Amino acid sequence: MTELVKSSSKKSPAQPILRSDRGLRIQLVLPAIIGIWLVVGFPLLYAFYVSLHDYVLSQGGIKGINLGNYTQIFRDQLLVGATRNTIILTISVVVLEFLIGFGLALLLNNKRLKGRDFYLLILLIPMLMPPITVGTIWRLLLHPELGIINYFLGLIGLPQPAWLGDPRLAMVTIIIVDIWHETSFILLILLAGLTSLPDELYEAAMIDGANSSQQFRFITVPLMMPTILVAVLIRMIAALKTYDLVYILTRGGPGIATETISYYIYRVAFVFLDMGKSAAMSFLLLVVIILLTLILMRIMRTAENI
Amino acid sequence: MKLVIWLRRNLGLLITHLILSGASLVILLPILWVMRTSFANRLIAYKIPPVWFFTPTLENYRIIFEKYPFQKYFYNSILVSAAASLVALALGALAAYSIARFKTGDPILRLSMLSTQMLPPITLVIPIFLLARIFHLWDSRLGLVLAYLSFNLPYTVWILIGFFQGIPVDLEEAAMIDGCSRVQAFWRVTIPVSLPGLLAAGVFNFILNWNEFLFALILTGRETRTLPVAIASLWTQQGVQIGAVSAATFLVILPVIILTWVIQKSLVRNLTFGSIK
Repeated sequence: MTELVKSSSKKSPAQPILRSDRGLRIQLVLPAIIGIWLVVGFPLLYAFYVSLHDYVLSQGGIKGINLGNYTQIFRDQLLVGATRNTIILTISVVVLEFLIGFGLALLLNNKRLKGRDFYLLILLIPMLMPPITVGTIWRLLLHPELGIINYFLGLIGLPQPAWLGDPRLAMVTIIIVDIWHETSFILLILLAGLTSLPDELYEAAMIDGANSSQQFRFITVPLMMPTILVAVLIRMIAALKTYDLVYILTRGGPGIATETISYYIYRVAFVFLDMGKSAAMSFLLLVVIILLTLILMRIMRTAENI
Repeated sequence: MKLVIWLRRNLGLLITHLILSGASLVILLPILWVMRTSFANRLIAYKIPPVWFFTPTLENYRIIFEKYPFQKYFYNSILVSAAASLVALALGALAAYSIARFKTGDPILRLSMLSTQMLPPITLVIPIFLLARIFHLWDSRLGLVLAYLSFNLPYTVWILIGFFQGIPVDLEEAAMIDGCSRVQAFWRVTIPVSLPGLLAAGVFNFILNWNEFLFALILTGRETRTLPVAIASLWTQQGVQIGAVSAATFLVILPVIILTWVIQKSLVRNLTFGSIK
């Protein structure tokens, strides 16, 4: 059998045999396409239909067409606040998680380091933990009176803040918890990128007399650029959708100090029951995410061409 | 003198160990503290300054299984997570194979799978909630399975396209020359060879479903809720039940930590949608 594999791999390209299965290829994709249409395509179209109408659940069914759902979006002060919070949160967590994650990945990417796999095993733990449990753990630790963190702060004579109850501190606290949760994601991806860099380049650079900071600047950073951008892009998209941590830690409070776009849309939909308005706003969020993704992907393409 | 030389040669390594140990403690201590609290009785759980040594008790675990039906929530979570993951794997593998081998609908079909990953859950949960009410799927496990397919299915198709493309066509051709039909070649050669990839995708989807909160919060009721919703609801019932919350949290994260280690090798591929292998 292995000989057959070898001989066929060179001579005949696979196409003739494959082309004979026209009917089969459609039959194979059809179930998945119908499935995705039912659970993604159709709901999205329905949401768009709803977003064009007056539809408040507490006032009965769908009423007349109302484009105000879209035209009045930008006059909504609460949405402006939520947008500001989301931008602050996204930029903070992406930048800080990148810096910490890259730093740790560089430290772990050391062949002389013993116990590397052991460190990695621990550092990867938070990545796939349910956000609700991450929030729960930190809410317990950060409890103003019953939490262990404020107890230790008190022991060494530091102030014991109301981490989640103080409007100036609540967003910082959410950012810290998010860093604890998600840094391992960036760490893992950058470490995979670092370990796949060819050793020969570094050996050649050493022979040419490049010191380690020059090696970092002229080899590591340029070669890592595509990996870095993928990691940052994925984290950014996820951070723009932040909902779970806000729900479990602060419910958007105190006041609206930590309300993100997703959380505000959730409130409009499932507390105020305004389906039309919330659907319209959720499309705006989608458009923003698509635009930012396209911009970052363009940057990625230029970076890869350099 | 020897010490000075040793220090000079290994100072960098020493600092590396210090930083990495510090980071490891930052990760481990919060989890260990919750584990510790889950074994503390009512009085000790609330004590500040904390009691460091005490006889562990299973009281909190008894509470979450007797006072709250956590066995039911476990059942819901496992059932819904596994069902959506398996359906996605079955439909996704077929579609991905067709797209990978025959370039069906290329590139629009392929890219549309990836583009669904940009969808914010909140954009989908509003119409899915309204449709679930219309079709009597609200407060049902089936409704939640369908909702989870909205991200499991496109993700599985996308990640398996890359996987099937990495398997040489020659393998199937050889099987077909030996007398297999195309369908047989797919079942007897391609599927066994790609089992690790299928398994990784399935486990990854299972974890995503196990962790999912927003859809579960909106689409389930008292009987059908999953573990994350059950944990979140412990916060509002009669103030904070520190011990019970800790026990539930620990039980929910334990399988995830173990699964993370099991699929560690394929994690990078799964997390980056195959863009880094």
